Amino acid sequence: MVSIENLSFGYKKSKPLYKNLSLSLETGSIYGLLGKNGAGKSTLLKNLIGLLYPSAGKISVNGFIPKKRLPSFLKTIYFIPEEVFVPSLTIRRYINLYAPFYPKFDEKSCYDYLKVLDVATEDKLTTLSFGQQKKFIISFGLACNTEVLLLDEPTNGLDIPSKTQFRKLISSVFTEERMIFISTHQIRDLDNLIDKIVIVDKGELLLSASVNEVAEKLSFKTIKEMPEDSSAIFYSEDSLKGISVVMKNTDYEDSKVNLEHLFNAVTENPTMAKAIFNTKN
Amino acid sequence: MNDTFSAKRFALLFKKTLLERPTQMFGFTGLILAVILILYFICKSQIGFGAAQNISFIWGLAGGGCFLASFVFSYFSSNANGSSYLTLPASHFEKWLCGILIAGILYPVIFLLFFRGIDSLFVAIFHNSLDPENALYKEQYNSVYIFSFTGRIALKVFPIFLLLTGISLIGSLYFNKAAFIKTAIAFCVVCFSLFALNWVIAKILFGNLDGAFPFHAVDILVGKEVGSVELPKKIFQAYGFAADYVVPVLFWVLTYVRLREKEF
Repeated sequence: MVSIENLSFGYKKSKPLYKNLSLSLETGSIYGLLGKNGAGKSTLLKNLIGLLYPSAGKISVNGFIPKKRLPSFLKTIYFIPEEVFVPSLTIRRYINLYAPFYPKFDEKSCYDYLKVLDVATEDKLTTLSFGQQKKFIISFGLACNTEVLLLDEPTNGLDIPSKTQFRKLISSVFTEERMIFISTHQIRDLDNLIDKIVIVDKGELLLSASVNEVAEKLSFKTIKEMPEDSSAIFYSEDSLKGISVVMKNTDYEDSKVNLEHLFNAVTENPTMAKAIFNTKN
Repeated sequence: MNDTFSAKRFALLFKKTLLERPTQMFGFTGLILAVILILYFICKSQIGFGAAQNISFIWGLAGGGCFLASFVFSYFSSNANGSSYLTLPASHFEKWLCGILIAGILYPVIFLLFFRGIDSLFVAIFHNSLDPENALYKEQYNSVYIFSFTGRIALKVFPIFLLLTGISLIGSLYFNKAAFIKTAIAFCVVCFSLFALNWVIAKILFGNLDGAFPFHAVDILVGKEVGSVELPKKIFQAYGFAADYVVPVLFWVLTYVRLREKEF
């Protein structure tokens, strides 16, 4: 379990990125961390792994304080940054040198994932394309079987078939003992993958809710015309079939959550979003 | 689980560090040794044995050591590499020790063995080239001898090696890119500032200043003569000990502190 209490962080003291952010993430969920460019998604992930230290507040990941970067903590968490690093080694050599640091690493699974993602080479990793390198690190990270998996823009640099395979892989490796936290601004890549949504903007937590909760409280549909009383409409966008709207689900209708529309709705109406979802910053 | 030191984990880390960057680790070491061999040969031919031994020993141990040390923690030139290094499940102490082992023990041992090897070879070649029948044979033979690692020069160079390597290690953790160059510039700026500040203070205290060397002596003009104001012997000895051993150790320890506090 991840607990963030009153987190404050800024690269410059005069310009805080997060101020008093509180958030709780449960094991057994796949979280999608959504935010605009520069919203602080990577910064939040880096605080969780201990690469950056909060200027105030507390972070606890499965009982560990990340900033200490203790080996007993680091072996339970794997971070896949947006830009991955691969040394000039073959896949076999990389696994041979890195895997022993992760006690739950499963070599067979790693090769299975590589097969699924279509990465097969006897050459050095540095000769692979960026996308191939990223797929290798994703496979390795998944095979480490850590309790917490942090992925920063994992689908950047992946081709369309790989994005689909990535979603399938994440679903297949997910267990109730794991927590997967995926940050992205490519919202569509997380469709049907995540079960909980976290939206941050301008250093504020705007939403932290499960997809079910969102579906309960909001309705996503396409209408022909805007009603006279549009107070229940949270967000609207013209589309080919009419007007796509996000509105309060007063009639308890079932609708499929459109992550992109939800994101736009929340970032354009942060106060309303916080009120609906009772979000505390 | 021991979060400070585990022999098994350290062995894995050390193996990974050496094998993942063979070009940097073995390549640079090989390059330094090759340069020293050439330097020794040129100096021997142009200046003589004594100078060749001294110059190549100083540059090989202190210069080469600090150059190699600047690469030991050079993981931070890219975001991805730095993240990968800092999030690897090994303790700060193990990561620091790994760097210390490479820069502070492995390299000097390799260099000293190499230096002794080439020095012995060149000295032997010289001795064999002499004519035993020559009247000056014994004098010529004794004029060239193997460089002593416990001699005056060597004992001066060891602390310099410790100091420069420590500065280089800490510099590589402060400067993410072009660490060696930036550290060298920072070192020069600090030295220059120290000399300038020392000179200004000495000038204020002694109006008739001729020269001033930080922590050492102030030369003042007395008529046409130059007199030297030196530190009391005991204080000077204490300063010498601090400069040779305490300051270098401080830099090496600061490297650990910086690694522990490193954000990326």
